[in-house]
Amino acid sequence: MARDTNDLLRQLAADAAPVRRLPRPWVRTAAWLALALPYIALVVFLMSPRSDLAARMADPRFLIQELAALAVAIVAAAAAFGSVIPAYGRKWLVWLLVPFGFWLGSLGQGCLQEWIQFGSRSLSLGTDWSCFPGIVLAGAGPVITMAVMLRRGAPLTPMLTMALGGLAAGALGDFALRLVHHQDAGVMVLVSHVGAVVVLCGLAGGAGRSVLNWRSIAAGLHGAAL
Amino acid sequence: MRAAQAGDTDAYGQLLQELAPRLRRIVGLGRGFLAREDIEDLVQDVLLSVHAARATYDPARPFMPWVLAITRNRLADGARRYARGAAHEVAVEDLTVTFSQSQTNLNASSRDDDYGDPEGLHNAVQALPPGQRTAIELLKLRELSLKEAAAANGSSVGALKIATHRAMTALRKKLVKN
Repeated sequence: MARDTNDLLRQLAADAAPVRRLPRPWVRTAAWLALALPYIALVVFLMSPRSDLAARMADPRFLIQELAALAVAIVAAAAAFGSVIPAYGRKWLVWLLVPFGFWLGSLGQGCLQEWIQFGSRSLSLGTDWSCFPGIVLAGAGPVITMAVMLRRGAPLTPMLTMALGGLAAGALGDFALRLVHHQDAGVMVLVSHVGAVVVLCGLAGGAGRSVLNWRSIAAGLHGAAL
Repeated sequence: MRAAQAGDTDAYGQLLQELAPRLRRIVGLGRGFLAREDIEDLVQDVLLSVHAARATYDPARPFMPWVLAITRNRLADGARRYARGAAHEVAVEDLTVTFSQSQTNLNASSRDDDYGDPEGLHNAVQALPPGQRTAIELLKLRELSLKEAAAANGSSVGALKIATHRAMTALRKKLVKN
């Protein structure tokens, strides 16, 4: 026992500087999007939007895939922000399955249609791995912003929280890259885009304990002797 | 807690004073097998975490579930820490190693009790076949490494290992019989 509990209580009470209450997860998600979307817009602008963007926007399949990716980003971000609030509940994880399933389903449907149209040749459309660094670059800004924001919360499930943050940033990166890259082949998008999102998700989750821990939250935000 | 978030130190102090015994009871129930100091360490851990995370409390929601979620998390962290520590620790007896201790100062009367029969051992070693005797002398008495002993004896490491193993078996048999 390092010190007497009564001494600790006195010290903590004396250290009780006013704190800014953490907004609700959906409010924080909106704040994150307000920071991440301009970054995404800048990345799309710098990488030059695809020349056929106007035509693609009229394609329902493209629109559904883009909206599903955006929905995954929003719900995963809200889930990440909810996971740093003690006793907030875990229902949001079920919510996440809906857009995620929709996203994978819409990409899978694209693969299926190509299979029907081109047969086994659809697989030879190949995977363009140039998407991979693009998604990581587009997701880097949002994931860093996410990590900074998450550090204000309680690190109850650091790996899961950061993995959700990585999923949100990766899905946003995929949303951005589809506006830049001409590739729309279902298999290619399914493998390289979803693969890049999964990698970003895994990397963020792996860094969870280093980024989010009780020591950093206390030292960084409240100056307590934790 | 709402007052504490606004910086009311008196209200916060009172809250913590009321919270500490409840936490002690909760931790004691969940970790009854721990020593009192370890339970107190866990209580302090929870109190520090409650303090660090006080910005995450929403006054529109009940307080105790919020505290209990932090408590459960800190208890799980404590259990992980304990398991990690236990996995890397080796329990050893407090052996006497100082020269002033009687156990480390042998005399003629205690030597036989502690080390058996040195003369019998000497005779048993002398009775070994030459190859095995040399192996024992080089490896066990002069404490050379296998490589050094092999170089000194002009034999291979494998042959030395076999000779030592046979010699030890022969010595064990002979000394037990005696």
